[in-house]
Amino acid sequence: MKGLYLFIASFICSASLYAQLDSIQYLNEVVLVDSKLEEFSEGYTLTKISDTLISRNLVSLSDLLNFNSNIYIKENGYGMVASPSFRGTNASQTAVIWNGIPINSNLTGQTDFNTIATASLTNVIIRSGGGSSQYGSGAVGGSIHLNNTIEFTENSSNELTIYYGSYASVGGIFKRKMAAEKKYLDMAVDFISSDNDYEYVGLNRKNNNGEFNKLNISMNGGLRLNNSSLIWNSNYFSGVRNLSGTITSFNKDSYKDETFRNLLTWNSTSKKWNNIIKGAHIFERYQYYPNRENVLYFEGKSNTIIGDYQLEYNINEKITVSSILNLTHIKAEGANIGNESRNTLAAIFIWKQLVSDQLSYNINIRQEFLNDFENPLIVSIDTKYKINQWYSLKANASKNYRVPTFNDLYWNNGGNIYLKPEISYQGAISNEFYFKYFLFNMNLFYINSKDLISWQPDINGMFSPINISETENIGFEMAAKFSKSIQKNIFNIGINYAYTSAKNIETGKQLMYVPFHKVTGTIDYRIQQFNAYFQQLFNGNVFTTTDNSTDLDSYLVANIGLDYFFLYKTMPIKIGFKINNIFNIYYENVAYRPMPNRNIQTTITFKF
Amino acid sequence: MKTLKNLFKILIISILISSCSDDDRILPSLGDYENGILVTNEGPFQNGTGTITYISDDYTTIEQQVFNQVNSENLGSIVQSIGFNDELAYIVINNSNKIEVVNRYSFESISSITDGLMNPRYFISSGTNGYVTNWGDPFDNTDDYIAVIDLLSQTITSTIPVAFGPEKLILMNNVLYVAHQGGYGQNNILSVIDTSNNTLASTIEVGDVPNSMVVLENNLWVLCGGNPDYTGNETNGKLLKIDVTDNSVVQVFDFLTSDHPKHLSADGSHLIYNLNGVVYSKDEADISLPQESIISGTFYAMTTKDGKLYATDAGDFASNGTLKIVDLSTNSEIQSIQTGIIPGGVYFND
Repeated sequence: MKGLYLFIASFICSASLYAQLDSIQYLNEVVLVDSKLEEFSEGYTLTKISDTLISRNLVSLSDLLNFNSNIYIKENGYGMVASPSFRGTNASQTAVIWNGIPINSNLTGQTDFNTIATASLTNVIIRSGGGSSQYGSGAVGGSIHLNNTIEFTENSSNELTIYYGSYASVGGIFKRKMAAEKKYLDMAVDFISSDNDYEYVGLNRKNNNGEFNKLNISMNGGLRLNNSSLIWNSNYFSGVRNLSGTITSFNKDSYKDETFRNLLTWNSTSKKWNNIIKGAHIFERYQYYPNRENVLYFEGKSNTIIGDYQLEYNINEKITVSSILNLTHIKAEGANIGNESRNTLAAIFIWKQLVSDQLSYNINIRQEFLNDFENPLIVSIDTKYKINQWYSLKANASKNYRVPTFNDLYWNNGGNIYLKPEISYQGAISNEFYFKYFLFNMNLFYINSKDLISWQPDINGMFSPINISETENIGFEMAAKFSKSIQKNIFNIGINYAYTSAKNIETGKQLMYVPFHKVTGTIDYRIQQFNAYFQQLFNGNVFTTTDNSTDLDSYLVANIGLDYFFLYKTMPIKIGFKINNIFNIYYENVAYRPMPNRNIQTTITFKF
Repeated sequence: MKTLKNLFKILIISILISSCSDDDRILPSLGDYENGILVTNEGPFQNGTGTITYISDDYTTIEQQVFNQVNSENLGSIVQSIGFNDELAYIVINNSNKIEVVNRYSFESISSITDGLMNPRYFISSGTNGYVTNWGDPFDNTDDYIAVIDLLSQTITSTIPVAFGPEKLILMNNVLYVAHQGGYGQNNILSVIDTSNNTLASTIEVGDVPNSMVVLENNLWVLCGGNPDYTGNETNGKLLKIDVTDNSVVQVFDFLTSDHPKHLSADGSHLIYNLNGVVYSKDEADISLPQESIISGTFYAMTTKDGKLYATDAGDFASNGTLKIVDLSTNSEIQSIQTGIIPGGVYFND
């Protein structure tokens, strides 16, 4: 066991079933800042989305996950507020983890997937299933990991991408990387702006008030010392959006988001011991303008400071124990919540054992302290059994939680300071098959969540959150990937399918905006400098009312793209051309909010 | 009810007669939605359309989405209220900033009024004019107004600026009383508008958050909810009696500070309102507020007619609501009927 220096190679063999096969690289010294993600999650399905796929869905994390995962994304019109439903759980039950640090908003409990810029990320890993014991509040349905890797290999490169598309969409991405044996630095600037005034197919109307622009600046650095390393990750995001209207209303409101995150990690490794010390600061702010023509706005912001100490000890070759102490201090203020703060101390204990070459398991225990509300004891266990070369069985069971947000607790009016955390119990079994050209995975999951926080009218008709609902989610997920080269022709075919039944136990009704069926498919064909691909997404019908009295039609939307590489020695150039919604269908992802008609994206990338 | 039954009998008989003879004496039906109850359903808060539910007087015919069905189009976002003038109904659609004018019996669309409305709330007609309360920008307390509609051309011809948060309207002797509930905030006055020249004649200070009004003889009764707790300046609810001959407040009934009543309506000489999860009935002449409630329930809208209480329950605000009909002579529920999403108003189409 090499501690935190993780070989991508071994990672790919064991955990990352869905990595783009053509992008497998064997690197000597690659540091993934969040080392515990693969180390202690063997009994979970991890799906890796490589930078190749990221480069095809540059605009947002919503697009990326919509077409490449089983996660259902609910989007209030293209580019607008987007929240996930992972395995049928609610929007605040998917944790977004940036380089190991949870970044869901303290105010809303969620991450708006349209405020995450993807271009600067090395990869995105989807961890299916509860991860509260390691990642804390919100990792219930699963977690989305945004990763930047640090490579201590001699390398220096510049990359410039210019983006142009329909609806006057323009953007640019500049990345610079400088790396040596002991030093590493990268930076990426990513900007996109769009009028987003797409046509509502067949309605002879355009999307009103949908303009957006986003700026993301990312910097990552590393220093490698004798037995230790120092890593710094930094990300700034600023986005301005007008909020699209619906078929029945014309909006004038506007929303500004700003986040700034910094993380410093110091690792020290010896034969038996591993020390990881982290310090992080996260700033988030929103400003809501009810009428963009006026100066009046409502603001909310929060500052989070995280201190984290992880001590890992290899008892022998088979057993590793790890303990983590994490102190999180949050200070939030806003027009509707006043000034509030929260301290959380979490103690985490992890036991990992390789019983044999085939069998391994992890036990995670987390206890929190200091919270004003009930401090839950969180436990998880996961195991992997490698039955033979081509078949592994994984299983996990966990208790998870989601703490009330600052809005839930303090919102004026209605906030309820007596809320408890939402609690969920879950289990999953997955079967993974690996053949030469074919990878296949099947998961079955069960999630029981109780004390779910729901805003309901009280006796005076005022809305207030209470711990009331209980849900039961049962589902099946399947993923298959086929990859084959015939002479110079390379084929990659991928398909994901998820069946999700998510019921409110009291009413027996399916939850709103959870489709029973979601299917995504990709066909990728490459010959020499040509790369053509086809992406397809099917979302089954969803209910738009809690009594299931109204629903939204299912839809099938497809994109097609072509990349061409000019392999010039001094400056390789890639030209990308993509048509979204190629069949120009009318579809709504949220009721009365049509999504874009057929549209074009073009990119040109220079490497120098 | 008896007259109604008789009318019904006549109708049936006349139909029978007309079917066996080519007689033209049949009472012509004014439309499918004559003689019934109309419920306005606001619709989902952020994304969708409001609807109207029709319930026939004998409760045997219930039709959802009346406007949407008849006209094959969406009514609009947040259907706030309906006002009537002769055979026309003016459906006020708050978030879509429009009024759909329809034939109240057939629900066929006549026209839409869009120019000059901003967060419209309630409509009332007087002669050839219609009056619509408008919040303007809900975060601007200085741009609220009453839009005056010329009912012949169905266009807005003038506006009357008023204090912030105008809501419900009531007309008495050509004088328009406007309750300033206070929009997203709180206000505490009534505007008095002279409809002969469409000007603001005076204002009357009432309690905080005047939310509903009824007229009994020469008196205007105003129910004020009081400032809610979360404002940091909680005030008690009030029931006021105003003599409309001189617009003076002649009687005030104070509720407890933590009591915030709403939905005032009248059943004969009884004033009915909703408070703390129950419904109270106070005889107009009683010198104090009642202690005993008549039924329980927290309602999203509530009104009375001919000895019956019509009260809506919006449930979780994300599913179909219900209309409860209660016989006020026995205080027992006689019907519970499904409506659309967030039923916010009950009207009678007779």
